[in-house]
Amino acid sequence: MAEQHSQSLSGLLSGLVQLIYYRNSGITEQMLKEQLYPDLPQQDFRILLEKMAGILRSIASADMDLNQLEAFLTAQTKKPNGITPEQATVLTKFWKSHKVKIRESLINQSKWENCLRNLSWRVDLKSQSRHLDQINTPVAIVEFELGKNNQIFQFPLEYLHWNVTQESEFLCLELNEIKVNQLLNKLAEIEKSIGALSYIS
Amino acid sequence: MRSEGRVEIRATNHRAPIPRCPMERCDFHLERGYIEGAGPQLRGAEVLPLDMADPQTQQGTAWAGFDNVVESVSKLPQDLFAEVCQQIMLYLQCKIPGVNTLEMVERLQAAGVELDLEATKELVHVISLFFRSAAQSNMSAEELIAKLADSSSKWSKQMLQVVRHVWTEQGKLIATPEDAKHMLTVGQLVDLEWKLGMAVSSDNCRSLNHPYVTMMLKVANPSGEIISRSFEMTIPQFQNLSKQFREVATVLEMV
Repeated sequence: MAEQHSQSLSGLLSGLVQLIYYRNSGITEQMLKEQLYPDLPQQDFRILLEKMAGILRSIASADMDLNQLEAFLTAQTKKPNGITPEQATVLTKFWKSHKVKIRESLINQSKWENCLRNLSWRVDLKSQSRHLDQINTPVAIVEFELGKNNQIFQFPLEYLHWNVTQESEFLCLELNEIKVNQLLNKLAEIEKSIGALSYIS
Repeated sequence: MRSEGRVEIRATNHRAPIPRCPMERCDFHLERGYIEGAGPQLRGAEVLPLDMADPQTQQGTAWAGFDNVVESVSKLPQDLFAEVCQQIMLYLQCKIPGVNTLEMVERLQAAGVELDLEATKELVHVISLFFRSAAQSNMSAEELIAKLADSSSKWSKQMLQVVRHVWTEQGKLIATPEDAKHMLTVGQLVDLEWKLGMAVSSDNCRSLNHPYVTMMLKVANPSGEIISRSFEMTIPQFQNLSKQFREVATVLEMV
């Protein structure tokens, strides 16, 4: 019996994550009730759903580590109308396995600038030229593919099957050896800053 | 483009070489809704750039529902609907910089069609998104018709006929992302600016703690025009970029 409850709760948490974080419009609360808690009265289901959603949100928002999680869940078990120790166990297991993905989705949700989708390059050698000084000059052609992160432009529910990917912008650059080295110097500066960051955080 | 002589590819990090195509760079700007160099007359009119990144049209407020759009379409006589589709196709083929919805509304109303500017804009937007989606998925006319019929019961035989006709004739001419890619010219890097940021917190996560690198590239086109583009990377993405450039440097040295 307890096993059943744990499985249902696990399923509920997965469904909630789909709903809240991955914004999967294919899942609805009704579906979750019918599949996981068919015998539970509607009102009780609502209460359970809201309680779990609230807990999940708090855990994800604080990006809790295991210690914080344990303290938090223990506190929840002590509250009136809180959670049971069994539920706490399910929540702990769930967070452990989903934490990384949920965090990634939270990060992506707040990324509104262009992101670098792909970088392609090739090196050409000019072997003949009008301008003598360009013979045997190697040059790099680099192509940056840029696009907004919320790539799938999703229509409202009724258009669900008309997913259209937002098209990429391509930036194509020609760089000689000098330019590439200048660029590398800049990249090294950035790497240095990143290194300094790790000392601070 | 390269007018200077023979060029030999010595190394690349991808299978197919980046093709060079001496076509206009119209698409690059069109996709972003720019109308540079289009002339004063286009700035005055209501040219709908059909910028898919436009957040306004993504939100619920712009959509009155799919059936509404089909209802709007059913208000058009067949030949006018065909004209609308044609305009949209011309835009998607990059032959015109945008669809002039103001002009279109005037034309429709003159023909006795009761559609206001909002409804017309919505109609144009939705139809172009279907066409664009169909082009991306390489759909045949039959597949497109089937999908449309599936989406709403309000499509009439005549309307679908128009779509079939327009698509069969012109569907393959739509510039797909791969084509758009080929139409860019190669620019020179003028400057690279960067910033290392830390996203501390956001509205749905109080404890985000996410470092990221933002880069701003200033590029000079062959015409001398300087454009800027910025983009954001996660730390691993940035490290991959560094690695790629180090590879490029190594190859340049060896050649």
